[in-house]
Amino acid sequence: MAALSVDSVRYSYKQVDALRGVSLQVDSGRFVALLGANGAGKTTLFSIISGLYRAHSGSVSIMGHSLESETLKALAAIGVVFQKSTLDMDLTVLQNLRYAADLQGISRKDSRQRIDSSIELHNMQSYSTRKVGALSGGQKRRVELARALLHKPSLLLLDEPTVGLDLNSRQEFVSHVKSLCHSQQTGVLWATHLMEEVTTDDQIYLLNSGNIIADGTTASLLEKYQQPDVAALFNEVNKQYTDDRNVHGEPS
Amino acid sequence: MNLSHALRCLRGVAVREALRFIGQRGRFFSALVRPLVWLFIFAAGFRSVLGISIIPPYETYILYEEYITPGLLGMIMLFNGMQSSLSMVYDREMGSMSVLLTTPLPRWYLLLCKLLAGVFVAVLQSCVFLAIAWFWDIRPPLAGYLAVLPALVCAGLMLGALGLLLSSLIKQLENFAGVMNFVIFPMFFASSALYPLWKMQESSLLLYWICTLNPFTHAVELIRFALYGKFSPLALVVVSLCTLAFLTAAVIGYDPARGFLPKKMSGAKP
Amino acid sequence: MNKSVISALSTCLLLSAQPSHAHWVYVSNEKDDTVSVIDTETNEVIKTIEVGERPRGITLSKDFKHLFICASDSDTVQIMDVATDEILFELPSGEDPEQFALHPDNRHLYIANEDDAIATVVDIETRTVVAQVDVGVEPEGMAVSYDGKWAIVTSETTNMAHWIDTETHELVENTLVDQRPRDAEFTLDDKELWVSSEIGGTVSVIDTESKQIKQVINFEIKGMSPDRIQPVGMELTADGKYAFIALGPSNHVAVVDRSTYEPIEYILVGRRVWHTALTPEQDKLYTTNGVSGDVSVVDVKTMKAEKSVKVGRFPWGAAILPKAHIPG
Repeated sequence: MAALSVDSVRYSYKQVDALRGVSLQVDSGRFVALLGANGAGKTTLFSIISGLYRAHSGSVSIMGHSLESETLKALAAIGVVFQKSTLDMDLTVLQNLRYAADLQGISRKDSRQRIDSSIELHNMQSYSTRKVGALSGGQKRRVELARALLHKPSLLLLDEPTVGLDLNSRQEFVSHVKSLCHSQQTGVLWATHLMEEVTTDDQIYLLNSGNIIADGTTASLLEKYQQPDVAALFNEVNKQYTDDRNVHGEPS
Repeated sequence: MNLSHALRCLRGVAVREALRFIGQRGRFFSALVRPLVWLFIFAAGFRSVLGISIIPPYETYILYEEYITPGLLGMIMLFNGMQSSLSMVYDREMGSMSVLLTTPLPRWYLLLCKLLAGVFVAVLQSCVFLAIAWFWDIRPPLAGYLAVLPALVCAGLMLGALGLLLSSLIKQLENFAGVMNFVIFPMFFASSALYPLWKMQESSLLLYWICTLNPFTHAVELIRFALYGKFSPLALVVVSLCTLAFLTAAVIGYDPARGFLPKKMSGAKP
Repeated sequence: MNKSVISALSTCLLLSAQPSHAHWVYVSNEKDDTVSVIDTETNEVIKTIEVGERPRGITLSKDFKHLFICASDSDTVQIMDVATDEILFELPSGEDPEQFALHPDNRHLYIANEDDAIATVVDIETRTVVAQVDVGVEPEGMAVSYDGKWAIVTSETTNMAHWIDTETHELVENTLVDQRPRDAEFTLDDKELWVSSEIGGTVSVIDTESKQIKQVINFEIKGMSPDRIQPVGMELTADGKYAFIALGPSNHVAVVDRSTYEPIEYILVGRRVWHTALTPEQDKLYTTNGVSGDVSVVDVKTMKAEKSVKVGRFPWGAAILPKAHIPG
């Protein structure tokens, strides 16, 4: 079953069209990367999938639940790591996790167990009672990830989760998420503009100006566009798209 | 929406609000010091001014300190209502509002949780204030201490709902200064919190009407009557209607179709 | 069932239907020339009685059948029948009677005549002046000791409490007190005489035996200018614990602990509080508030004013009729 399916979603701010009919799919247990430059529309798309915005047209369903008509069921299946940290800096890691467990309606008994095992899983034992504000960037990200997974979502959304991390922490974080993705059969949609986070067997979508301009596995796309690596591929596809648009004008 | 989930969510929001409130010691003290300064300094200066006319719910002469105590309780509720609106704007800019709003519960309920959590913190503060006031010889009847709790909750809901509404309208954190100037101060001063309405009427009829129409006046009167074990139906009706109106407007303001995130954040990289 | 039983029953019913499980407080209204009667249970004015001009000092006879009223501007003391509210007769009082005191014999009334610097002793039964005693200038307060030996007059200008021997009607001793003495009260055991000084702002406690001041009580109210603290009417509780002192334009009644002679509480009442009266149970104190035209009810246990009751203009004196003596 598709963990997430997005169909022809459109959204515009007053003058700017942010999404011009985006469709994509994330299967359970798959790691899908959404690649796009800053301003391509990634955050808007995430806001729609997580129910913060309502799409102006098109539809979104999560684990088969329509976001429009079965909002609560759909939302219950999502875990989100936002681009900006959304933790309470003046609360401890544990307090942050407990808050999230309460919001998700997890009983005290369950939540205690889940928080314990999550702290273990994400290697947070050494700082679980410290205030989040005192943690390093990488540690904070881990807490956010742990929080997003607390209610065992079927779909995990991560919006540029590695921004602000050094190279080591980034790689560590990506591989951590990927291993979770496989071990727990969680569908992951990972938005980024950092190409080195993508490996060859990942599914990728390229987003530019609110359009999906290419999709497929990394390997297949590299072959199709005859590019040596993801960064070059990204540049090439975007260039082709821009050239094309300059010739044919704005797509409606 | 399942009930145990709803209650757990409410608990979570309330605990978070309380933890943050206690954690920010500065906030705790400033919230408490504000009404106490009024009580100890402002009221002391006007001690003998009042006690000229007896108005309900009072049955005899009272010191000015006693008169403004319900007004100061109202002030606590007012500042907390606005504080929660500030914290909503803050939460929104810091992103933690997104966490709340992606919770799989109806949005109106999530906003109500936020509101109740704010009221809970404000009622706690009011209790501490009343305890200190007791040592300052402001000792309403025992029944009043019980009756004032629901009145505080009602007043808190109304002012919290107003804060919620404002926070849905305010797009940026810096605008809070504007809220202070254009909401808190006028609401507080143009009300029965500091002076009885008849006193206003003596100086200006217009002012009297402004005060009478100010919902905060009714919040204060509801608290005032309750504190003396009495009940003001008019105040309750006005407060309830205002709560409903503010809350409805706030829920509309937070409708996802409108897009609640400020452009600044969502379009961080336009 | 015979007739007498029926009548007895109906009497019982009638009695139980009577609303007066409470005492009556008589309050003289200086400006209205009336006396208001307050029911202590409802704390509402149940009737207003027309009396002579400018009624001030009032007191009940020892048998509670008559109310004595100083009608200052009528230059008379009126005797009102408590049962009918009618003025039965008037006593020759001398000019401008303001305060008086009734001797325990329930027969001799001691009246202060402010303008003439004399105290007049009137025999109520014969309605004649028995004696006139020269005292200081502007006599004001009056008290008779419980054993009946002493009558005290305070003179506002001479600043003295004058001791009059009730047997000889002679002034035997003067005690100098602070400026403008107003009210005088004996303690129940007659060991102490309390005199309030309106301008001096003090209360002097005088030892009856030596006629010397043994204690001067000062008052201080937070945020109140001292010249507004003007002690006037006083009431001493029968248990010997407290004294209530009306403090005039400070709008407060002071509570003095009689074991330490220290004020322990100041109770906010209406404006310009003149006099006070205690209920027979000594659980409530009624204060007359001249300027605000009302009477405040103070709970003795909590030392708090509970309610203020509107009466006539410028209420001055108060006297309480115990429920057992209420007519009807």
